[in-house]
Amino acid sequence: MKAGRHNNRTYPTAGTENVEGKNTVLLRYIRDKVNQLLQIMGTKPLREEELNDESLIAIDPIGIIAESFEQVLEHLKESNRQLQLARDYLQAVFDTAGVGISIIDRDMRIIKCNEKQKELLANGIALIEGKHCYEVYCGMDSPSLMCPAIETLETGRAVMLKEVTKKGRVFQIATSPLKDKSGDIIGVVEVNMDITEKKRAEDAMCQSEKLAAVGQLAAGIAHELNNPLGNILGYAKLLLMDENPSEPQRERVKVIVEQAKKGSGIIKSLLEFSHQKMPVFEKISINTCIEQALQSLHGETEGINIEISTRLGDVPHIMADPKQMEQVVYNILLNAVQSMEGRGGTVEVSSESANGSVEVTIKDDGPGIHREHLCRIFEPFFTTKPVGKGTGLGLSICSEILKKHGSNIRVESEKGKGAKFYFRLKDGIPDV
Amino acid sequence: MTDKIEINLDTINLDIRGQICPACLLISLKEINKHKETLRCRGANLVVKTDHRDATRTIPDAATAMGYTVSVEKKKGYYEITVGLEHEGRQA
Repeated sequence: MKAGRHNNRTYPTAGTENVEGKNTVLLRYIRDKVNQLLQIMGTKPLREEELNDESLIAIDPIGIIAESFEQVLEHLKESNRQLQLARDYLQAVFDTAGVGISIIDRDMRIIKCNEKQKELLANGIALIEGKHCYEVYCGMDSPSLMCPAIETLETGRAVMLKEVTKKGRVFQIATSPLKDKSGDIIGVVEVNMDITEKKRAEDAMCQSEKLAAVGQLAAGIAHELNNPLGNILGYAKLLLMDENPSEPQRERVKVIVEQAKKGSGIIKSLLEFSHQKMPVFEKISINTCIEQALQSLHGETEGINIEISTRLGDVPHIMADPKQMEQVVYNILLNAVQSMEGRGGTVEVSSESANGSVEVTIKDDGPGIHREHLCRIFEPFFTTKPVGKGTGLGLSICSEILKKHGSNIRVESEKGKGAKFYFRLKDGIPDV
Repeated sequence: MTDKIEINLDTINLDIRGQICPACLLISLKEINKHKETLRCRGANLVVKTDHRDATRTIPDAATAMGYTVSVEKKKGYYEITVGLEHEGRQA
């Protein structure tokens, strides 16, 4: 710079050579910065022959690039906003889906899962992400052999399991591969649909269809057998009234009567089962029903070493069909007594009040029920008794009667440790 | 520089044949910036004619980063690069 005067002070001034030198440095600087910015834009550096210094300054490259960056920034901001929006929408869909969704990596670790999945299979487990899916969802130390996620990871194919029980509930599970841009499988998307209620309804429907078919068959057979059996019984009784038969003949006719009566009893059970009536509700004391059932059972316990005790509490009266309730108690008691035939034992019948309801318990110290029989004892015609000793309808009838009273019969038993049957009845007419 | 610019309602034509990169890019960016509103709000297109092959990469890259949709078409002896906002029938 040239020296100049300013406020009586003298400044050094540059010569022409100095100005040109400075300009060259500045132009070099501008060219370098432009090239740096062009490199960021993905293109080559400027060549001198392409744009001379004069044209370079005239075109204002830094201004152009700065303005372009402003548009790049605006575009990035808009893209980010749209991405965030899309992410929020996806998250909302993910979280409000009626099925459990889980994303699992190749090491079987949970990357992400939705709220439904947590509710279904990870309730109470903190920090699910990063844990092994088989630990959190299946409660196992290693994946099961049937794991659909492993099959999907190995084959790359979608897999569906129609019915899997996990943590006491039934699920339909579908897995599909999660791929990266190059098509490599990086994980699995697992969808768990809770079908417990659907399965229960299907089973109930199946059971009720089975019951209806059995009932129809039973009614037909009972009707056809009732008349000939009545004739056998009638004529046998007439023979007994006759004075002519010898004593051995009389004994044989007695056997005929006894067996015919037994046959009638079976037919009666079949008819009861097939023509189960709707309960006639009235205000009753369950204790009275228990006492009447015990009276009816009196003949069955004669001559066998079985002690029946009662512990009847001060229970409220409830709306129920007294005859049907008596039958429920009788059938359970008869089962208990028959299970202890030949070995003796004790049976206790108790009633107690429970939150405005009445709970009836029949407990015996008999041989108990085998674990695999427990789930079948309420099925019609299921029996473990010898042929001719039972129809397998008693508990099935109990179960149906209690259902119509809005209740369920429950059983707890272990082989060799007796059995406990109990049911709870609420006051009021159930909506069934 | 003797670049030719033509503007009609829908298209802004920029002929930079004879120019090479990165000047091609700078000139194109300058036009994009200049006609930002027309391109963004009125749905117009900037059509760049260039005979420099590198420009068919550098201009689309830069314009895409700025949020525009770009298509390149090879014509007889030159390329036609169309820059605009995304609409049906155009490919990035």
